[in-house]
Amino acid sequence: MIATGPMQSHTPTNAPVERAARKTGEVILALENISLAFGGVQALSNISFDVREHEIRAIIGPNGAGKSSMLNVINGVYHPQQGTIYFKGEKRHRMVPHKVASQGVARTFQNIALFKGMSVLDNLMTGRTLMMKTGILQQAMYWGATQREEMAHRVRVEEIIEFLEIQSIRKTPVGRLPYGLQKRVELGRALAAEPTLLLLDEPMAGMNVEEKQDMCRFVLDVNEEFGTTIVLIEHDMGVVMDISDRVVVLDYGRKIGDGVPDEVRNNQAVIDAYLGVQH
Amino acid sequence: MGPFIEVVLGGLMAGVLYSLVALGFVLIYKASGVFNFSQGAMVLLAALAFARFSEVMPMPVAFLLAAVLMVALAFAVEWLVLRRLVNQEGIILFLATFGITYFIEGFGPQLFGDSIYRIDLGMPKEPKIILENMFEGGLLINLEDLIAAVIAGLLVAFLALFFQKTATGRALRAVADDHQAAQSVGIPLNHIWVIVWSVSGFVALVAGMIWGSKLGVQFSLVLIALKAIPVVILGGFTSIPGAIVGGLIIGVGEKIAEVYLGPIIGGGIENWFAYMLALAFLLIRPEGLFGERHIDRV
Amino acid sequence: MPATAAPDTGLTTGLTFPRLLLKHAAERRDRPALREKDLGIWQTWSWGQSAEEIRALACGLASLGLKRGDALAIIGENRPRLYWSLTAAQSLGAIPVPLYQDAVAQEMVFVFQNAEITFAIAEDQEQVDKLLEIRAQFPALAHIIYDDPRGLRGYTQQGLISFEELQKRGREWHGANPDFFLQEIDKGSASDIAALFYTSGTTGSPKGVVLTHQAMIASGRAYSDFENIGADEELLAYLPMAWIGQNLFSYAQSMVAGFCVSCPESSETVMNDMREIGPTYYFAPPRVLEGLLTTVMIRMEDASYLKRRMFHYFMNLARRVGSRILDGKSVSASDRLLYSLGNMAVYGPLRNALGMSRVKVAYTAGEAIGPDLFVFYRSIGINLKQLYGQTETTVYVCVQPNGAVKPDTVGPPLPGCEIKIAGDGEVLLKTPGLFREYFKNAEATAEAIDSEGWFRTGDAGFFDEDGHLKIIDRAKDVGRLIDGTLFAPKYIENKLKFFPHIKEAVAFGDGRDHATAMINIDIEAVGDWAERRNLGYSGYTDLAAKPEVYELVRDCLEKVNLDLAHDPKLANSQVQRFVILHKELDADDGELTRTRKVRRRIIADKYQKIIDALYGRESTVQIDAQVKFEDGRTGIIRADLRIMDVKTYTPEQAAGMHRKAA
Repeated sequence: MIATGPMQSHTPTNAPVERAARKTGEVILALENISLAFGGVQALSNISFDVREHEIRAIIGPNGAGKSSMLNVINGVYHPQQGTIYFKGEKRHRMVPHKVASQGVARTFQNIALFKGMSVLDNLMTGRTLMMKTGILQQAMYWGATQREEMAHRVRVEEIIEFLEIQSIRKTPVGRLPYGLQKRVELGRALAAEPTLLLLDEPMAGMNVEEKQDMCRFVLDVNEEFGTTIVLIEHDMGVVMDISDRVVVLDYGRKIGDGVPDEVRNNQAVIDAYLGVQH
Repeated sequence: MGPFIEVVLGGLMAGVLYSLVALGFVLIYKASGVFNFSQGAMVLLAALAFARFSEVMPMPVAFLLAAVLMVALAFAVEWLVLRRLVNQEGIILFLATFGITYFIEGFGPQLFGDSIYRIDLGMPKEPKIILENMFEGGLLINLEDLIAAVIAGLLVAFLALFFQKTATGRALRAVADDHQAAQSVGIPLNHIWVIVWSVSGFVALVAGMIWGSKLGVQFSLVLIALKAIPVVILGGFTSIPGAIVGGLIIGVGEKIAEVYLGPIIGGGIENWFAYMLALAFLLIRPEGLFGERHIDRV
Repeated sequence: MPATAAPDTGLTTGLTFPRLLLKHAAERRDRPALREKDLGIWQTWSWGQSAEEIRALACGLASLGLKRGDALAIIGENRPRLYWSLTAAQSLGAIPVPLYQDAVAQEMVFVFQNAEITFAIAEDQEQVDKLLEIRAQFPALAHIIYDDPRGLRGYTQQGLISFEELQKRGREWHGANPDFFLQEIDKGSASDIAALFYTSGTTGSPKGVVLTHQAMIASGRAYSDFENIGADEELLAYLPMAWIGQNLFSYAQSMVAGFCVSCPESSETVMNDMREIGPTYYFAPPRVLEGLLTTVMIRMEDASYLKRRMFHYFMNLARRVGSRILDGKSVSASDRLLYSLGNMAVYGPLRNALGMSRVKVAYTAGEAIGPDLFVFYRSIGINLKQLYGQTETTVYVCVQPNGAVKPDTVGPPLPGCEIKIAGDGEVLLKTPGLFREYFKNAEATAEAIDSEGWFRTGDAGFFDEDGHLKIIDRAKDVGRLIDGTLFAPKYIENKLKFFPHIKEAVAFGDGRDHATAMINIDIEAVGDWAERRNLGYSGYTDLAAKPEVYELVRDCLEKVNLDLAHDPKLANSQVQRFVILHKELDADDGELTRTRKVRRRIIADKYQKIIDALYGRESTVQIDAQVKFEDGRTGIIRADLRIMDVKTYTPEQAAGMHRKAA
């Protein structure tokens, strides 16, 4: 782990030890023989892997390996031509985005999709839309009565603000924040939905070393504090190896490796796939 | 000094009404990206409904019923039109609102009759002279206009609060900011559309009532409502304060032009001055006074 | 300087902090004592609640075995729980040792060994990790109590306990021994150690300054009396509580006067928290004041043309008459009218933006403050004053009285403090706030306090005609050029640092025939300057080496030289050559203290080669620099540093220039 200044980016010194010892639970998501094609292009071929409760599961691979397609299959945006998905023990051929979201899956995007003109606080509050018992229409009709519910949501959101250490930008419009902070806010909005499964699409893309370390710490903390299962995709191997429990490696839409970071690191097929790709 | 102030005040009062109609445009444009050509027709429909209802029932009930009608219209528009045109080009949606306009303009009078109806809100009609000791002869103002301005101001304040302080308002802002991101956090777009169209319908009702009480409810309300187009060009399509200030500027501008330029270049300036001003603004500042300029930070 | 009658120092009344706590808990039970913003809302603890929390904590600590004379480290940002920890330890007669939260573990090991610290209260995981690292080298550290449990769930180390759990045990203990807490407080005496403050010093190991209840209470009381500070003040504690400058005001004086102390939500929200709390009593080192001013100025640059014009017009007026109005001196009626207009349009909103609308008294200390900076705050109606003191004196030395404030002095001695100037210019003093000793360091104590009880401040200074003390430099740093004339490096450095483009400066000249300087540019100010001229740069090192930047810095040095040339005593100290250093001086590299004071000797050693070159003839010097790459690796690069000559002036020239300018 890289030594850093004492204040800004603190990485727990005993994190790796803890990681190895940590127990993960039952399989929460299993993908079996997933194949996905766009026209004649085969994006994913016959991929199987599973995600256990409370683990950090990384999907890595060089650019164009099919990582984003994989995430979109889980998220229900793409529907695979073949294969089966088991989510929380329930078998389904395809996932549907709206249903997936209401069952506790939240995600972030590779290209940040925040409400740029709204404050950080408001952005996080929108993350709780699905948690709101009264629908938008009812709220519009009886908004006096929903005040109490709003307060309860605000408390949860404030906890996330504290958790992500973004108190100082609570009221700042998101569009004015630097990129690294926007990424953190987007993570916050996903967390506001209190997901059981969190999908992170390249959470560290475009960040400098310090921002990456901060993000790593938050991902680890989310996993530990809330017990959230995390699936993240990254094309940079280095960062991911330190924080993941298990890693799937994709290359040209095929699975070429799967296991704990050390296994994957020493897997010849993985090394070959990454050769020539400088990081 | 006195006459000039009278002209400005008169302009402000008229401007408030422009602002109200413009507000309806802006609300719908912000939340759905649709330039709603039928806003004028909605004003007519709301005014007609209120005028006819109030003939047979107490005014508050008539008001409520007219509001319900506007909400029903919002549901219908969402169900029959918007839902079926999701993800279409803006121009397609714009043209669809033409359809809505002609439907309302035709169907409204069919339902409620096509003669001129009076709305009597019981507001004092007679002009009043104020500030007599400050200006020679005092200032002549129309009390009805003043009350209308106050009502419009309250409505705007209420809308601002609704947008800033409620969960629904936040959802509306989120949709206005980024459709796709809003969907990804689970904000149902069709509900939002119903809400903005309802709110616009409500604003149209208030505008229609005030206007109807001044001029009588008649087809020409649609044409006056068209003045809201230069107003939103001036104020910016996405800005609520822009709609207000734009309306006031156009209202005052055209009165001043009429009174002081009219005698020089001939009367009737009032009819085209607003459009000239809007054109000039388009050339100088296309995003309008308060419109968003896109600032991208890296 | 004869001492005026010493005020009641607490010795006679036997006051200790725990007794003050009990007094406030009885007298103003429901009045606010502490506030903290949590989850976006200000939480308040009254004196009564605070006393209960402290009792639970003290009893909990006792249940773990903390006893009289044991040392307890407190490490973290300003948080109510950490303030309670101070009083809880004091209640048991244990010694609280507040530590800087940004110090690395290795730096703290010595303190733990020296003070034999067996208990530590830490704010969060970051601090706990450090304490565990320290414990590997100092196993006697048995108990680690943490405030924020986040991230600590998986920690199974021995002796780790949460604050809640400790207080829970404390409440049980109190239930079983209801008299224990008060009995322990009863055993305390005013001459007990109230706290140990470790000073990093510019050389050698840190020294533990032993401050008694009596000294700290005396100092708190002296300020309260001098400024008429009561229980209604509001203060925001945002500087490290390990620093006496913060601790005196946010702990000692709050305990004496009974006012409420607020803790910010996080270190980044201080500006906002200031605006919300509206402190009436404020303390900031010049560095912070400078940062605030820069923020304001940057925001002003982005304002519309009209606003900028108005701002500059009224700021010019304020510079002319603002301080005079604040001091109650005579100002023409028209200026007074304009100033009140400016107060509505500019100064009021500005004070509000700074969070200083309600500030009654604001202090600055810790280092010399630039006259422009100082006058800026005073001119917009903020009663900013300088004070002078050390950890060793509990800052009970000098403060500027209202209405007699000068930018270049630190004011007359506070009542009770006695000052004399030694033959070599060193300031010696006696004060009721004086420390007892350096902890377990009799040698250092003997060096610092002479046989007659005079404390050697180590500062060189003199009294001006009004009896105000003027500090020019550290006594040991005041050297002489080869021709025997006075050389006060800090005096020159401060003058240089008052330029916005210069962040740090180190002047050399003792035992040499002329003076030279090493410069650190201010990356933000110079970066901004470079951007406006479309000057591209990749980082500090690159920017520092630009010829344009060298020109910029040379202009600053020439202005300083001209200034020095006015004073015959200092004319020979004009800087003849300078270098812009390739890296920023950094506390992590030992080049600065934690309070960002230059460590002259260490720098002289480390950069010997550059200093030699400054006194040589070459215009470049080759250095091997360690750099940190983006990916975190470090490497050595070899580079040439440029050395530049500066124009110097004779006193006659200087006088001539002055005339021309006039």
